[in-house]
Amino acid sequence: MSDNLIEISHLTFFRGERAIFDDISLSIPRGKITAIMGPSGTGKTTLLRIIGGQLRPDRGRVLVNGTDVCRMDRHQLFAFRRNLGMLFQSSALFTDLSVFENVAFPMRVHTKLGEETIRDIVLMKLNAVGLRGARDLSPAELSGGMARRVALARAISLDPDLIMYDEPFTGQDPIAMGVLVGLIKQLNQALGTTSLLVSHDIHETVSIADQIFILADGRVIGAGTPEELRASPSPRVQQFMHGLPDGPVPFHYPADDIAFDIMGDQQAGRSA
Amino acid sequence: MRFLAWLEALGRAALLWVNAMRGLPRWSDVKLVGRQIYNVGFLSLIIIVLSAFSIGAVLALQFYTQLARFGAEDAVGLGLALVVLRELGPVVTALLFAGRAGSALTAEIGLMKTTEQLSSMEMMGVDPLHRIVAPRIWAGIISVPILTLIFNIVAIYGGALVAVDWLGADPGGFWSGMQDVVQLWEDLGKGMIKSVVFAVLVTWVAVFQGYDSPPTAEGMSMATTRTVVISSVLILAADFLLTLVLYGDF
Repeated sequence: MSDNLIEISHLTFFRGERAIFDDISLSIPRGKITAIMGPSGTGKTTLLRIIGGQLRPDRGRVLVNGTDVCRMDRHQLFAFRRNLGMLFQSSALFTDLSVFENVAFPMRVHTKLGEETIRDIVLMKLNAVGLRGARDLSPAELSGGMARRVALARAISLDPDLIMYDEPFTGQDPIAMGVLVGLIKQLNQALGTTSLLVSHDIHETVSIADQIFILADGRVIGAGTPEELRASPSPRVQQFMHGLPDGPVPFHYPADDIAFDIMGDQQAGRSA
Repeated sequence: MRFLAWLEALGRAALLWVNAMRGLPRWSDVKLVGRQIYNVGFLSLIIIVLSAFSIGAVLALQFYTQLARFGAEDAVGLGLALVVLRELGPVVTALLFAGRAGSALTAEIGLMKTTEQLSSMEMMGVDPLHRIVAPRIWAGIISVPILTLIFNIVAIYGGALVAVDWLGADPGGFWSGMQDVVQLWEDLGKGMIKSVVFAVLVTWVAVFQGYDSPPTAEGMSMATTRTVVISSVLILAADFLLTLVLYGDF
């Protein structure tokens, strides 16, 4: 068994004319927390969807446990996803089910466990995220932070080999953020799962990740442990790691010169 | 270009249908279908019963005043029954169903998509086409014919109330005239065939519009509107074609 759970090689993905990924290769070690970072719009979420088989790349291979996700048929794909937990940015709880039923859902559809066992497991999972007392609430009654913790409990209810977190810290207050950081770390250690985290919250991510990849413009511009990246000589990595507004990644969306943009007509008149 | 986009949407709708309806519902899906029958069928009962009653009453009133001029009040019952069983029952039920339940189906599925519930279900290895779409289609196909039957019964009794109890038509003539003319298969049976076809059309349009809507507020409002408009037009067009095929005498 290879040390890497996921091996991505020469992945290329187009959205319309634009290449979201341009021949990227990276591997994600088993049992560790790996973070994919990068500015918004660099396709971090797209990468998770490709690994989960929801999107098919134009070129390249995505091996999970040695099997190419891109070549699975519908049936294999759904079987593969039973070993996968994903935490969505919007939590994506089922609004017609209670908190308890949300967490029980994967077990009800994928296992033949008895009602007693399901109840025990659900309560254990909810306890792990500190929401055992909220089991009878409906998703509409939860705060954003609570909803994300319930979604986390649901994602781990089948003890998956791989948990993917899509921007787990976005829109969370500082306390909820701290709770989530602790939970992700704890789950990784307690369950021995591989965690793949997509985020642009540098501080939180750096504090828990074993390995980080920085994506920009469809390529991997930096990879390594948090310490290695902080010490990286690359100006682009430095700009991202320290959150500088301007640098190799420009602050401005490509545009004409501002003087020309605002004074355009008058200047044109003067030069005529 | 618009024609191509339209063809493409038709293709996506066909794929949705094929993928969702592949295989009969399994035993474990019965609960899901039952819950949807409650949502789309049972909750539509009030509007169906109210409309049926008033349509039956108005028809009886119109028939009675016209037919009384020729002393043919006895024909009110059979006229009412034929019109309701063959046309108004299936068509009006389906139109009401599209407005009451079809639009709700579209909004529900569209919102599930917008909030990534369908996506997360997929990532859990559960096919939303089987879990969400198929039970709703089955519920529609089961509910609409039953609603049509209820519509028929209520409309005829509503008509009887007006013609017999209020205007004073002879009850014997009303009911026996109906019994003599109305045939089980020719009138009731073919009307039910229509309602099954309408049910398929409405639920198909509704779930497809929800599933295919862009995940924005604007996209959703357009999708719900489209559900009602497209399914109404389809119902009326299909009704003409079905009448031609079922009752046409070439």
